[in-house]
Amino acid sequence: MAQAAGAPVISVQGLVKTFGGFRALDCLDLTVLPGEVHGFLGPNGAGKSTTIRALLGLLRTDEGSATVFGRDPWRDAVEIHRRLAYVPGDVTLWPNLSGGETIDLLIRMRDADPSSSRRATLLERFELDPTKKGRAYSKGNRQKVALVAAFATDCELLVLDEPTSGLDPLMEEVFDECVAERKAAGTTVLLSSHILSEVERLADRVTIIREGRTVESGSLEDLRHLRRSHVRAEVSAAVPGLLGVPGVYDVTVEDHTVSCTVDPEGLAPVLEALTRAGVRTLTSTPPTLEELFLEAYRGF
Amino acid sequence: MSTWTGTVRLARTFLRRDRVLVGVWTLVLVAVCYASAAATGSLYPSVADRVSAATAINASPAGVALYGPVVDVRSEGELAMTKMTVLYAVLVALLLLVLVRRHVRAEEEDGQAELLGGTAIGRDATLGAAVLEATVVALGLGVLAALADVVGGLPVKGSLAFGASWAGIGLVAAGLTAVCCQLSASSRTCAAVAGAALGALFLVRAVGDTSAPTLSWISPFGWSTKLHAWSHTRWWVLLLDVGAGLALAGVARVLRARRDLGAGMLAPRPGPSVGSPRLAGVLALSLRLHGPMALAWTVAVGVLGVVLGSIAPDIDSMLDSPAAREMAQRIGGRGALGDTLIAAELSMTAVIVTCFAIAVVGHGGAEERDGRTEQVLATATSRSRALVATVAVALVGATWLSLVTGLAFTLGYGAAAGDLGDTFRRVVPAALAQAPAIWLVTAIGVAAYTLRSRWAVLGWAFLVAFLTFGQLGELLRLPGWVVGLSPYVHVPKMPAEPFALEPSLVLTGLAAVLLAASWWRFRTRDIG
Repeated sequence: MAQAAGAPVISVQGLVKTFGGFRALDCLDLTVLPGEVHGFLGPNGAGKSTTIRALLGLLRTDEGSATVFGRDPWRDAVEIHRRLAYVPGDVTLWPNLSGGETIDLLIRMRDADPSSSRRATLLERFELDPTKKGRAYSKGNRQKVALVAAFATDCELLVLDEPTSGLDPLMEEVFDECVAERKAAGTTVLLSSHILSEVERLADRVTIIREGRTVESGSLEDLRHLRRSHVRAEVSAAVPGLLGVPGVYDVTVEDHTVSCTVDPEGLAPVLEALTRAGVRTLTSTPPTLEELFLEAYRGF
Repeated sequence: MSTWTGTVRLARTFLRRDRVLVGVWTLVLVAVCYASAAATGSLYPSVADRVSAATAINASPAGVALYGPVVDVRSEGELAMTKMTVLYAVLVALLLLVLVRRHVRAEEEDGQAELLGGTAIGRDATLGAAVLEATVVALGLGVLAALADVVGGLPVKGSLAFGASWAGIGLVAAGLTAVCCQLSASSRTCAAVAGAALGALFLVRAVGDTSAPTLSWISPFGWSTKLHAWSHTRWWVLLLDVGAGLALAGVARVLRARRDLGAGMLAPRPGPSVGSPRLAGVLALSLRLHGPMALAWTVAVGVLGVVLGSIAPDIDSMLDSPAAREMAQRIGGRGALGDTLIAAELSMTAVIVTCFAIAVVGHGGAEERDGRTEQVLATATSRSRALVATVAVALVGATWLSLVTGLAFTLGYGAAAGDLGDTFRRVVPAALAQAPAIWLVTAIGVAAYTLRSRWAVLGWAFLVAFLTFGQLGELLRLPGWVVGLSPYVHVPKMPAEPFALEPSLVLTGLAAVLLAASWWRFRTRDIG
């Protein structure tokens, strides 16, 4: 089954997964386009890992549709897995296999050849000792084992579930470089995370989920655009009444200073009112990703 | 805050968490005590019967090696507890090994100990609690065993001394395990070291009892017979158990203070930096993970086979009463007594061999629970292949071990009775005839695992149940249909009886159906 050029690598629509009475995924949507790094954001327990495990065909879903490379992950798991590499959020290694053995095993099980891979340079860059036994690695080093195995070969899709948890800042930098290199080589990346700065650095587009539901999706610019800016102004005349203006929230007044948050559609009336009141200073800050995130989480 | 703060509270938590394991294990051992105590009276009604049976044991080096000497050949209690005093005491030691290792090492490996270490408990609390729990379990087991003997009709004083000897073995095993668990960071290695230490102590006693009685004073298994539980009891011998247990626990504490959490006294050996090209798929992985265990089992089953084989000719004379003869026939089938015994012993080793298969299947459950199966299935590995890799190692491994048992038994028996060729023809097919039952019990374990990964341990429950129903059902006087639930009673009792195709086919067929259902289930359920 050939896939049309430009068709999404991952396409999820209205996905529902229940565990007993608990709806882990509740009409989740997710679209990942070829060649992009897609940030998959959500608080703990939002359903990120459940989504990923459904995309890998490890879980059977109840409703909705999910495709990877245009195929059904439940039916065509093996064909899909040949073309991707996966790093789980909580890497557990075989206690009596060395790190090097585990890396080679995982590469070989994806039908690739470790000896012609980037394994050696990656081991060096991640400063990983491959001779230690699985049980002797710290959490960060276990993560590195899985990352080296994933980055070592060329694949079409990287599925990374909170891959930097446990890595120190220097290693995070190496990780960022590796993702950038893979992206330059045309690999699509699904990067699940709750670390905003990481997603902000790496991702082209993001999907924010909460309680198993997609609350936001788009490029970072798009998302910022949709969100309220902080406006703070000092006026010479009396402070104008902004409370009734549509799209204006959180108004606080202190002497001649007024601050509020404003929806994009509320900006024009606010500026008008401020101009009439004789504006002396004006600052307008776009929302930080942090605010976007928190707002999305709170369920606005 | 003292370094022991929280010990009692932790010990209570440990006991609550271990209640099923401790409960089942204790129940089985106590039931066996009761059954043996109750059965001996009718098996050997007169003093003369007892003397002849006990003398036969003492006359057989292999019998003494396995059970220890019978000190008072006239005592009904001592004869009834012959197998319990030393041989079954190994099972008591194993229970304590499992418990202490779980809390002193396995939880450290899994990281639970670190979580606990961060709370308001003292540095020595985990070790202290494990030893405390072990003491409670050992004493409880001793008291219940003594009670079972009394209820079974044996003298009170002897029963108490016997129960105390079990408690004593338990204490020593707990202390020994606590020390061994300080050595390596791997709980598997620690278990192997502790198991080997117990095995060595058993061996020292076996050598001592058969050739140099003073040597047996080195081993706690020797103390249990030196106690003379059933007549002229030397109560002070129990102090050796208590002293050794305390001393070992003290050593464990000193070693614990000298190492870091999660580390062992012995530095871990580095592994290869690249994987062998042969380690390329899920079957190779399964072989790699279970290979060392399979090798250890091969050696253990081989030794067991040789020992059982070499005592078998002697036991003929031991079972020199009509009642004993009848009992052996009930388990081993009708035929020449020697053949009946072989059949009965092969039936027991079949249960032991099944443990290997159940352990492999249980390991599959742990792999899935820990997320490693998920990593395997996220590669180009199909679910069918992943399941086959586990099941094949379990089934082929257990079948191989059955063959090893038969061969080793042949060697031991042939060496004692002569005529290897004839023994081979009688014993090896008989050992392999047990395989359909082993396959079926394994298939039940696989079915439990594929229903839910967390249910993989249910295989052990079924195994214990079948052991109780089948092998011990006659002793426990269970109704016939309950005994019939055990697959082990349906295999042809070769060589006492001829090979029967029908039950073998039915057992194999049932196993195949269960495995097919498991395969279907594993392909359609959630992983994790």
